[in-house]
Amino acid sequence: MANDILLKVEGLRASVEDKEILKGVDLVIRKGEIHAVMGPNGAGKSTLSAVLAGKPQFTVTEGKVEFMGQDLLAMSPEERAWAGLFLSFQYPVEIPGVSITNFMKTAVNAHRTGKGLEPLKAGDFLKLLREKMAFVQMKPEFAKREVNVGFSGGEKKRNEIFQMAMLDPTLAILDETDSGLDVDALRIVANGVNALHTPEKAAIVITHYQRLLDYIVPDVVHVLKDGKIVKTAGKELVAEIEEKGYDSL
Amino acid sequence: MNELNVSAGSVLHKVYRDVGGVPERIVVEKDAKADIVILALPGTSCDMKIDVELVGEGAEANLYGVYVCDGNEKVKMAVDMYHKVPHCRSRQLFKGMAGGESRVDFYGKIIVAQDAQRTEAYQENHNLLLSDKARIDTKPQLEIYADDVKCSHGATIGRLNEDEQFYMRSRGISLEDAKVLQMISFIAPVLENVKDDAQRESLLSEYESNIRNIIRNM
Repeated sequence: MANDILLKVEGLRASVEDKEILKGVDLVIRKGEIHAVMGPNGAGKSTLSAVLAGKPQFTVTEGKVEFMGQDLLAMSPEERAWAGLFLSFQYPVEIPGVSITNFMKTAVNAHRTGKGLEPLKAGDFLKLLREKMAFVQMKPEFAKREVNVGFSGGEKKRNEIFQMAMLDPTLAILDETDSGLDVDALRIVANGVNALHTPEKAAIVITHYQRLLDYIVPDVVHVLKDGKIVKTAGKELVAEIEEKGYDSL
Repeated sequence: MNELNVSAGSVLHKVYRDVGGVPERIVVEKDAKADIVILALPGTSCDMKIDVELVGEGAEANLYGVYVCDGNEKVKMAVDMYHKVPHCRSRQLFKGMAGGESRVDFYGKIIVAQDAQRTEAYQENHNLLLSDKARIDTKPQLEIYADDVKCSHGATIGRLNEDEQFYMRSRGISLEDAKVLQMISFIAPVLENVKDDAQRESLLSEYESNIRNIIRNM
């Protein structure tokens, strides 16, 4: 059904500094689906996620992206977030001097203002913050820490999923969320993503390896190679890639 | 000459909103402490020169400064920190930003006399350049004649980090709010040294509204 479609990407081409990275990507994501985008290094996986989130350094040269019926490419990064898109960064950015509490308060209230709602009361905000931190097993003292400053790899990724839980997006894009994680952190992150998933939402899991997909089981698997999706299949494709590698595709 | 003497054993904390009122010479005696916060708000030009002299053992001087410029301001700040006797401590932290066609000149020198052993002296000057027409010069200097000291200085000039901005925007924070957060968090370590809670909070919100205006005119 057409109204089940959350994201529709058609013929998307994008470049950075005049180098074309995405060379015509097509993708349709429906409510309730989890899609995996796999591919070798340099295939354009991170570029795809950055372009969808609206990173200014990338230029879209051709193609269309519709998100819940809206022209995604015409929206600013913050408007995309208000509309329900979330990107979990491969390399979460450190923001010296800004505490997690202050950062998330600004973000949550920006979303609310975007939807025409009043800012959250301080008490309600703190309750939500504590609840979601516990959800990803972040220690309460992290609330006062500067965003990602001095965090370990695992702490940064948990912080990403914590922010996802706070903002409750309709479409989450997880860019190499498994990189730099030990097995315990991987489990916490994956459990978090699974618990946030509902039949109304969707997720794109971008990864190089099978590992994360043992925990977050995809409905559809795409292989991105040299800026194009070269194969799309069900979850059985993951095992095939693990066995034969990307070169055989 | 506008002079300030901090007598032995006493503690002085002073916040100067009017840079013109800052003393030209501050003398800190034995076991005395001076905490000075200097604020240059947008629209304020100044030519400030301070000599701080630590003249008694155990003396401590902390100088903090903020400048926010967005028009045609010329902000000159110069500090000579003299460690004349042993066992004294000093810290200087100056942070600010220059936009529009403003000019910032910072000069800071730590002078440690030959018998001022066990001196601890630190100086930092960090700057954000907000426009291509603004200009920032910083000259940190050390002149050390004693051999048993801990001294350091650091100076930086940078621009607002665009990766931080994209990260915040991807969380739904508008570009304007992202810049406000970056700029306020940049000067906050200086304003933290204003000890009176009400005064500090009101200064923070004053700077925040100034900064928001600057961003809207950028």
